[in-house]
Parts: sequence; structure tokens; C-alpha cells
Amino acid sequence: MNWEGWLLTFGQIVLVLGFSPFLVGLIKKVKAHLQCRQGASMFQPYADLTKLFRKEVVYSETASWIFTVTPYILFSSTLAASLLIPTIFTPLPLNFAGNIVALVYLLALGTFFLILAGMDAGSAFGGMGSSREALIASLTEPALLLSLFAVAMTSGSANLSTIVYKTALLQDIVLDPPPHLMALVALWMVTAAETGRVPVDNPATHLELTMIHEAMILEYSGRYLALVEWAAGMKLMIFLSLVANLFAPWGIATNVSPGALGMGLVVYLGKIMGLAVIIAFLESMLAKLRLFRVTEFLGVAFILSVLAVVFFYILRVE
Amino acid sequence: MEIHWPLLLLILTPFLIGLSGLLSRNRGTLDALQCGQAGILVVSVILVAEEVLTSGPLSGLFYLHTDALSVWFSLILGIVGATGTLYAVGYVGEQLDRGAISFKRFQRFFILFDSYLAMMLLAVNVDNLGIMWIAIEGSTLLAALLIGFERNKGALEAGWKFVILSSVGIALALFGTILVYYASENVMGVSEEALRWGVLHQVADQLNPEAMKLAFLFALLGYGTKAGIAPMHTWLPDAHGEAPTPVSAMLSANMLTMAIYAILRFKILTDQAIGPLYTGNLLVGFGLFSVAISAIFLLTQQDFKRLFAYSSIEHMGIALVGFGLGGVIGVFGGLWHLLNHALAKSAAFYGAGLVLLRHEHKIVDQVPGLLHGIPLAGVTFLIAGLALAGMPLFGLFISEVAIATDAFTRHPFIAYGFLLVLTLAFVTLLYQILRMVLGTPVEQKVLKLGQRCRSFATVAIAVNLGALTCIGLYVPPGLSDLLGTILALFGIPGK
Amino acid sequence: MSNLQITIGSQLVNLCSVLLLLTCFGIIAQRRLLACVDLFAIQSMFLAVMAALVAYLTDIHHIYVAAVLTIVIKVIILPRILKQVVRRLDVKRELALYVNIPTGLLICGALVILAFFITQPIVHLGFLLTRDSLAIALAIILIGFFIMVSRVKAITQVIGFLVMENGLFLGATAAAYGMPLIVELGIFFDVLVAGLIVGIYANQIQDTFSSVDTSHLKNLKE
Repeated sequence: MNWEGWLLTFGQIVLVLGFSPFLVGLIKKVKAHLQCRQGASMFQPYADLTKLFRKEVVYSETASWIFTVTPYILFSSTLAASLLIPTIFTPLPLNFAGNIVALVYLLALGTFFLILAGMDAGSAFGGMGSSREALIASLTEPALLLSLFAVAMTSGSANLSTIVYKTALLQDIVLDPPPHLMALVALWMVTAAETGRVPVDNPATHLELTMIHEAMILEYSGRYLALVEWAAGMKLMIFLSLVANLFAPWGIATNVSPGALGMGLVVYLGKIMGLAVIIAFLESMLAKLRLFRVTEFLGVAFILSVLAVVFFYILRVE
Repeated sequence: MEIHWPLLLLILTPFLIGLSGLLSRNRGTLDALQCGQAGILVVSVILVAEEVLTSGPLSGLFYLHTDALSVWFSLILGIVGATGTLYAVGYVGEQLDRGAISFKRFQRFFILFDSYLAMMLLAVNVDNLGIMWIAIEGSTLLAALLIGFERNKGALEAGWKFVILSSVGIALALFGTILVYYASENVMGVSEEALRWGVLHQVADQLNPEAMKLAFLFALLGYGTKAGIAPMHTWLPDAHGEAPTPVSAMLSANMLTMAIYAILRFKILTDQAIGPLYTGNLLVGFGLFSVAISAIFLLTQQDFKRLFAYSSIEHMGIALVGFGLGGVIGVFGGLWHLLNHALAKSAAFYGAGLVLLRHEHKIVDQVPGLLHGIPLAGVTFLIAGLALAGMPLFGLFISEVAIATDAFTRHPFIAYGFLLVLTLAFVTLLYQILRMVLGTPVEQKVLKLGQRCRSFATVAIAVNLGALTCIGLYVPPGLSDLLGTILALFGIPGK
Repeated sequence: MSNLQITIGSQLVNLCSVLLLLTCFGIIAQRRLLACVDLFAIQSMFLAVMAALVAYLTDIHHIYVAAVLTIVIKVIILPRILKQVVRRLDVKRELALYVNIPTGLLICGALVILAFFITQPIVHLGFLLTRDSLAIALAIILIGFFIMVSRVKAITQVIGFLVMENGLFLGATAAAYGMPLIVELGIFFDVLVAGLIVGIYANQIQDTFSSVDTSHLKNLKE
């Protein structure tokens, strides 16, 4: 990998790390405005993270090494996953390292450890959150994989960079609305589930009995909490990047010129922020689903992703 | 475009008389209007038949088109419709006299009933697949209202099942129609003409075979639901059992027949496109299955209206087997069977209605000795029952023999199966009928039937049974000429 | 009409067909009756849009009439009637189902695949814009049938029937460029009257049985 590659990779790391708190702050701000109040500043999450890094860590005596190791694993796996997804430039320098399956399982690694950590402290809420998260994760995984595969089939490669590259240049792909639309809807539903947004999970709730993601991290404090929150923000950014760049990648930079990169950055940020605003609107309009309705919700996502793959296969066979 | 008065009269009369029922203030006018309708129906249908026999198919304004097949079915619908009207005047009039319904409901009944007849007549006399579908759907909706007319729990349940199942059937039939249009558009481009029989017959060999196969399958499933073919028949016993008896008669005799007409139209077209083997197999398969199912259930029926309903399923199955076998005798058998069945079945229901009015229940076990108790109903049951079971002397025997013969010459196994289930049905139906007709009447509370009701019913029954016996003994030349023309339509040379 | 316009046009029609299919899944996944009625209205709206598209692309003007009729009858009138029935009968949710929702969704997925297989041999016939619309139309018909069969409340059965009719309209318009106008008019009229009759029946059932649970309508057997 030449120096350009190193530069781009570091650039992407900085972008993902730096921008994800802003994204979370943006969503909160838009929701606040929709509720007719000022709300905290969009940069508040940065202040929160700084504060948390300085605070002391307090955790339960009965917690094992899993509890302390999880935030690091979660953070690093999510960051690694983010390096597989093209944000402002494609093809990525690191794209040889993994494809769709690697992405899904890196994310799953983080989730797995978080589930364990939730149970580790021995509190009732943590265990409850963990079991719910396990249910949701087991339902989202096939839907996520299949919807990504449906998109992959249009360009004949499971490598994310290749997919985005081919779609952006409109070369060598099969343009077909039906499978794409179904895959998009399925992916959107999975996004809502994986990032812990309404209608699956309310991130702003104070009621422990209704929490899923929040319940697992109840016991965390100080720098651990900072890492976990940051990882959650990065996960949101990853999923929004998937939605934006797999389905509408136009504007992304395909060569290393400053102009292209600059435009790629602007377009990317615009798309991500637009999607974040849409999430904020949906969160304000919809109500959180009861837990057992979530299975039906994710069932629809699964069926849609299955159909997307089938549609593509059947249509291509002709 | 010439206007053929008899044809127009045939179709418009029930519409108009039904509407004018809204205006009539008293019972007498309504009765007179209905009698008039019955008369006009009979006369106009005979005139139309003669016209078609002498000068070939008629085309009228607004997609009306009558050819030999339409005439055959119009005869059935017209004559049974006429006697049905007379019977309804008596039956519903009796209910009015007893105070079971108000005059307003009486009026409403006839509006629905007449429009129902008109819709059915329209359906068999148009040459556009789409308009035929619309008319059949219209008659279904009217039938739904008629079935639930009495508003008790049983009627509502039967009506709901009918609406749901018929809607599904109709939707499938529409899909079949769309497929035909899809296929014909490929040949003729987008055009209004693409749904007309005459045009379709001319381009039949260019229609895509796969599309026609699918179209026929959907049409068979869809219109077959309306015709009471097993396994789509589940609405039939309930509907025929719970509807007011004149409506049951019309359902059994007319509506099922009309549905078979629709299936036949599709069959003729599809046969021209892909040859008769595919449709033949399907029809024979469904037909045999219907006869078998009904034969089994006939034994366990405790309600005589449901008994006749299952018998209808059986006879529709027999007709389908006949048509499916193809060939001169098979088709002749099918057509003859439909005509005779309509006459006999409606007569049977007329009798059943009288028993129901008198005894206020429909249980077979509790109405023995009808020959002594209600001679009119008893005799009707006896004659109609014998005819339906397939006794010699009646047309149904001839048609069943014809179909069986045709089966023997082509596929002996089908013939064996056919005769087996026929015998089963024969035995069970005869058993049930004789149980009701013979013996001594049981002491129970009965209501007397009014004189008006009895006279109307007598006329209706007499016409039906008279026609039945007449054509059983001697086929009028007009009818045989008609049959010859129809066979030509089916693409069968000879006879 | 240039080639590019036709390609874009057919992609758009395809898109509309898929949106229709998505609303079907929405109806299956729903328990709230008012939401089902709303989804049906949205579906009819997409249907009208698609009809207008086909009319524009093929210059067959009577399809515009069909599109307008769809909006008037299926987006405005029928949902209003259905909502009135729902409110009057005071049924809000479908509590018991014959088949639970995830299984229902799986069955509907299978039905879609089945529909594609059934229409496979004839899809190639299209010189027409929209070949797989016929398959999606059949899929919607089958899903509508499934809704009718798997639901308990009378209103949802009606919605299933109306979904079937939507599928038929999709098939007729997209695959066969619309039936002749007179047939379309007749079909619309029939659908409207069917909706009315079903409303009447639902009311009568409510009056007689004090509930619109069709599981009460089980007395006539055999």
C-alpha cells in the first residue's frame, strides 16, 4: 500500500471517529426541534465524550475480565468494520481485507461481547437487555446479509468497494428497481434495529424496562462508557453509509485528486446528514414497538431481503 | 346494427319489470307484472331460438350476440326463469300473507330476483369475454343479497361464505380473462375487438399455447367455483339450503348452468388453440371428483334442501365429464343433461319449498309420507327425484347413458369410475327421496298453504315436469337442429 | 417516444409494481384494522400512479380514465366506507389469527416465488413494457387470497378481496395495457358494489351475532 493508501485510510479513520458524535448530536437536535424545544447543541456529544474520558471508572466487583475488555473490543471492531465501507473514496485501500461477510461478522463480534458484558455485571436489567438484544441480533443478521447480497448480485461481487465502484460508474451492473427497492427497505428496517432506534428501541428512554441497548451499558462509566457510546455512534454512521453508498453512491470519488476527494466528502456528508434527519423524523413520528411485535417487524425485513435475492435471481435467469 | 326485438325483450324485460316493482303500490299489480314477465320470457326465448335456427347467429347493439350455444342456455334460463318467477310469486306471497315479511321486503325481493334473472340472461347473450364477466359478477352480487334475504343466522353465514368464495372465484376467472386478452393482444395489438368470441375464434391458432393453458385453468377454477365444482363447492350446500326457496331453485338450475356456459366458452376457444386434450383431461378430472364427493355426502344429509344442493353438484360434475370427453355423444350428453337437470332440479326445489312452508323445517327424517300429506309436493318429489336419480324415461338417463358410452369407447377406466359413482349417487338419492315420499305422515304441527300459493306453485311445477317428461320421450326437431349447430361450434363434425 | 424514455418508463412501472407488493406485505404484517385500510388506500394510490404512467407511455388514453376511477373509488370512497364500518363495529385489532404473522410472511414470500414460476412461460410474450408486472400481479392476487383465508375478522377478509382486485387491475393494465374501457368501467362498478354489499353484510352480521368474528359463522357444517 502506497502513501496515498495510508493517507486515505487515516483520513477515513479520522472522519468516522470525528463525525459520528456529531451525527448523534444532529439527530437529537432535530428531534428537539420537532418537539418545539431548543435542545442541546449539536456538538454536545463531543463535550460528553471528553467529560467521560476524564471521569473515574466504577464497576461491579462481580464483573469479570469480559466487562473491562468489551468496550475496547466493541470500539475496535466497529472501527475496523468502518474501514471496509467506502465513504468518500472507492475502492478503499483496505478492501482486500474483507467483504460483506467480514463486515457483518465484525459488527456481530462487537454485539456478542456487549451481550456478554451486559450479563456480566449481574444486574437484572443488564441480563434483560442482553436477552432482548440477542433476539434482535439473531433476527437481523439474516436480513442484513441477504439484503447486502441482493445488492451484491447486481454487480457480481461481494466486495463492498467493488459494488460501490461499479454502481457509481454505472458500468457492468444490472439496473433493476425491484430487488434494489426491496433490499433498501429491508436494510432500512435492519438499520433501525441494529442502531437501536425507534421503532425497535428508544435511545432516549429513561425507563429501564423498555431499554434494549441502554440496558446492556447501564453498568458502564467513565472511559468505558465513552468508548461504548462512541462505538454506538460509529455503528450508526456505518449503517447510514451502507444505505447511502450502496444504493446511491454517485458523487463518490473514484480517483485521488483533491477536487474529487473534496466533492466526495461534501456529497457524503450531505447524504449522511440527510439520512440522519430522516431518522429523526421517523423517530418522532413512530412509536416504539412492543418486543414481540419486533419479531414481526424483522420478519418483514427478512422476507423482503429474501425476495430481493429471489427476484434478482429469477430476473437474471431469464 | 339491427335491433332484434325478441332478444332485447328477453333481456330487458326482467330489468324493467324489476324496476317497475318499485312503483307498484299493491300486491295485485306486482303479481300481475311478474306473471307478465314470465310469459314474455317464455315467448321471447322461443322467438329468439327460432330466429337463430333459421338465420344464424344474431348480433345486436351493445355487444349482444346470440349463437346456437347461447340459445341453448337462454332456453334453459328463460323457461326455468319463467316458472321460477311464477313460483316466487306464490312462495313469497305466502310469506307475505302469513306476515313473515312486510310488503316493502316483498317488493325488494322481486326487484332483486328480476334483476338477477336479467343479469344471467345478459351473461349468456354477449360475445365479449369482459362483458360476460361483468354480468356474471353482477348476478353473483345480486345472488349474495338474495341468499341472505331472510336475515337469520343461517342465512347470513351462508351469504357470507357465498360472497367470499364467489369473489375469489370471480377474481380468478377475471385473471383468466386477462390472460386471454394478453394472448390475443400479441396477435392483434391493443384493440377492443380482442375480447370478442368471433374475432378470437378466427385467430385462435395464433394464440400462445402456454397463455391459453393458464387462462383456461384460471377460468375453470374461477367459474368452476361458481358452478359448484368440487373442491370449490363448499359454499353451495349452505347457500342453497339457507336461501329462500325460489332463490335456491334459481341458484341450482340457472346460476350453475350459466357458470358452465362460461367454462364452455373458454373450452371452445382453448381447444381451437391447443387441441382438446388438455381441457378434456381437466374437465373430466374435476367432474369425476365432483360426482364422487357429492355421492359421499348425499348419504349423510338431513336437510332436504342441502340434499338437492349436493345433487346439483353431482349433476354439474356429470355434465363436465360429458363435455370433457368431447366427441359427439359426450357433448350432446352434457348439453342434454344441463337442460333436463335445470327442469327437474327447479321442480324439486319448488316441491321442497312447499314442504318447508308447511312444516317450517327442512329435516328429512321428519317429513315422511309426503304423498299423503302434501300430494302436490309428494308427486313433485317423486317425479323430480326419479328424474334426478337417473331413471329411464327421463332425459337425465339418456344423457348419462350417452356420456358413459362415450367414456367406454375412449377411456374405459373413466367409464368404470363414472358408473360406480353414478350408481352410488343413484342409490343414495333415491333412498332419501323415497324415505320422504312414501310412508305415513307423522303427527306434527303444520301450517296450511294458501290457495294462491298452491295455484302458482302448481302451474310452475306442471310446466317444468311437463316439459321434462315431454322431452324425455320425444325430442322436438327444433331442439335437435339446435344441438347439431352447437356441435359444429365445438368443432365436431357429424350428427 | 424515445428508447430511453421507454426504458426509464418501464423501470418506473416496475418500481410501482414493487411498491404495490411492499404494501401487501405491510397489510400482512399489520394487526390494526385502520392501518390495514390505510395501507390499502396507499396501495391503490400507487396503482393509479402506475396506470397513469402506462397511459402516458403508451398513448392509450382510456387508461387515464381507469386511473382516475381508481383514485376516486379505491383511494377515497372504499376506504371511507370501510373505516366507517370499522368505527361503527368498534373493532380495532385483529387479535386472533389462523396463522401467525411471521409464518404468514414466509407463506407470502413463497407465494410470490410461486407466482413467478407460474407466469414464467408466458412472460417472454411481452412486446409490452412491463413483463414482470404480470408475475407481480398474480403474486398480489395470491396474497390477497391468503389474507382472506388466514384472517378472522370480516373486515380483513374484505380487504383481502380488494387486494385481489388491485392485483387484477395491475395485471390488466401493466401486462395487457388495460382492458377495453367498457370492461374497466364494469369492473370498477362491480368492485364498488361488492364493497357496499360486504359492508351491508358486515353490519348485518354485527347485528345478528354481536361480533364480526367470522369464527362465529361456523354452524353450517358439511
